[in-house]
Amino acid sequence: MSRDFVFGCAMLALSGGYYLMAASLPQSLLDDAIGPQGLPKAYAYVLATLSLIQIIRSLPRRSPGAAASGLRGNHLHAWWRPLGILLIGVGYLTVVPWLGYTLSLAGLIFATIRYQRGEGVWRAGVVATTGAVFFWLLFVRLLGIPQPAGLWPSLF
Amino acid sequence: MMDVLYTFAGFLITPLVPAAFAGVAWGILGGALPGISPSITMALLVPFTYGMDPGVAVVLLASTYVGAEYGGSIPAILIGTPGTNAAAATVIDGYKMKQQGRADEALGISLYSGFVGGMIGLVVLVFLTRPLSSLALAFTPAAYFALGILGLSIIASLSGESLLKGVIAGVLGLMVAAIGTDPVTGINRFTFDSPELLAGIAPILVMMGLYAVTELIEQSGKPGLEASATLTSRTRVRFPSRALWRRIARPQAIGSAIGTVEGVMPGSGGTIASFLAYNEARRWSSQKEEFGHGSPEGVAAPEAANNTVACTALVPMLSLGIPSSNSAAVLLGGFLIHGLSPGPMLFVRHLDVLNGLFAGLLVANVAMLIVGYLIMTPCLWLVSRPKPYLMAFIYALVVSGVYAIETSLFQVGLALAFGALGYAMRYFTVPVLPLVLGVVLGYMVESNYRRALVLSSGNHMTFVDDRIAFWLLAFALVFVVGSLVRHVGRARRPSRQHDLTV
Repeated sequence: MSRDFVFGCAMLALSGGYYLMAASLPQSLLDDAIGPQGLPKAYAYVLATLSLIQIIRSLPRRSPGAAASGLRGNHLHAWWRPLGILLIGVGYLTVVPWLGYTLSLAGLIFATIRYQRGEGVWRAGVVATTGAVFFWLLFVRLLGIPQPAGLWPSLF
Repeated sequence: MMDVLYTFAGFLITPLVPAAFAGVAWGILGGALPGISPSITMALLVPFTYGMDPGVAVVLLASTYVGAEYGGSIPAILIGTPGTNAAAATVIDGYKMKQQGRADEALGISLYSGFVGGMIGLVVLVFLTRPLSSLALAFTPAAYFALGILGLSIIASLSGESLLKGVIAGVLGLMVAAIGTDPVTGINRFTFDSPELLAGIAPILVMMGLYAVTELIEQSGKPGLEASATLTSRTRVRFPSRALWRRIARPQAIGSAIGTVEGVMPGSGGTIASFLAYNEARRWSSQKEEFGHGSPEGVAAPEAANNTVACTALVPMLSLGIPSSNSAAVLLGGFLIHGLSPGPMLFVRHLDVLNGLFAGLLVANVAMLIVGYLIMTPCLWLVSRPKPYLMAFIYALVVSGVYAIETSLFQVGLALAFGALGYAMRYFTVPVLPLVLGVVLGYMVESNYRRALVLSSGNHMTFVDDRIAFWLLAFALVFVVGSLVRHVGRARRPSRQHDLTV
């Protein structure tokens, strides 16, 4: 499968889902000639058409050589490896309501440094703690922007 | 013009001056980091501007853009890696000069040429923006709709190699813009019963995700993360001598002229301008043979060009509300979170902010000379940091900054989701800017289209009868056809060359 083919199929599926959601929007007595469904449905039609063109255009390129630029082998590794950094962000979002801003941010900085093979656990830990305190001072103290406090206020 | 001068006089005693200096300093530091583009540097700063006065905020962001264009040339000259795309042409002769022990001279030429280009660009910006927006009071919903379509029509020229993928990205942007409360009936669309989505998705969240988060994801997959450049802290900026000043005047003029045209034209940008300027400077130079071997002219032309673009790219953004580059799109996001809508009505409702911006850009260009001279040591330190640490701090800045916009973790999640989308788009070689354009212009297009039809009792001829709408739509058509012709020509050229060689 070439990337263009996969991309075209994904967009076609998206257009289908978007159309179904647009079609299920409620009608209103205040509706104008176009209505709230009008343009979203049109976008779905256009996206579906463009996706089909994309799929058709990608078909002749499917050859044994095209597999090299596809989604297999090392390329699979190449595209999922960076997504680890995204998972660190998801982890931060998960723990921050409980652990609070400073602790969670220290965890995010530490995890990012280690994930990128930054040197030494202790050094990364010191940098993460210093960084989290720095950002807390900057956002909460200096700029007066409240960040998530976590469970700590309820414990003390 | 007089009101600009009056504003400028009052400006010197306001917080706008420190904002211009701070923006330039931040821009130079951000631009100096390879991989961190001016748009990302600006996007990282946007959350900090949330509580600021709108005038101060836009000056801070625009000054960042100015500073980043110079900042990009620092690693281009010192380590042969451009900090920004637009500085790629500077590598050719700038890095050669460094290898010859003339790094100080190259940095001085870059800084001075950036200043000259920026000042010329500012003059063009001041004189061209106002006439373009003089139609402000005559704009009807039909004309606003047509303006949105004109904005979307530049997707064709922003799509790079694949027009089809660019248009798909534009449609995705329009789909995102449809999320939230319907502009006419008030019905909730695609909100999944989430109160956070009722007001739609703020363009700035999309930009933070697509630019900053995507770059983090992308960088984390690149090898050589541990490597850091080893630089001498003795490097300084040395401004050109009088003889050199005379020699680089012509390439600066060439760079500024090309930067003016490329900046005003939607979809061109600083990278194309700097390479064109380099090429033309070589063509018109009396010392052509020196190009590629450490020519001062080869540094002056592209640097003048990309700093001219930093100002002239704001012409379509301010006058028509159409962002023609990533950086202009982020600046537009900065305008929007402060309740300022760039476009024709900006001159009517927020003239003070606009004049402040012009004066701020003037100070920013002067500040670039001063800050650029003084900031070299911290820049060298920053460029030498190991990437894992830099990435971790940028990530912390992103999650903290996005949360600060509306103190919502949901929005942090949205920014991460758009980061993942941006990474997928890069993987499938889909351009990002058309999507941003769709998000920014989608609401304007839909709401005015439907309002125009309500006012004309559903008669589509209203878009032809309204003269402004008609001409804007005609321009959009010309733009699309022109871009299509260019794309078809570009697609045929390689095959023709292939035919000749076989």
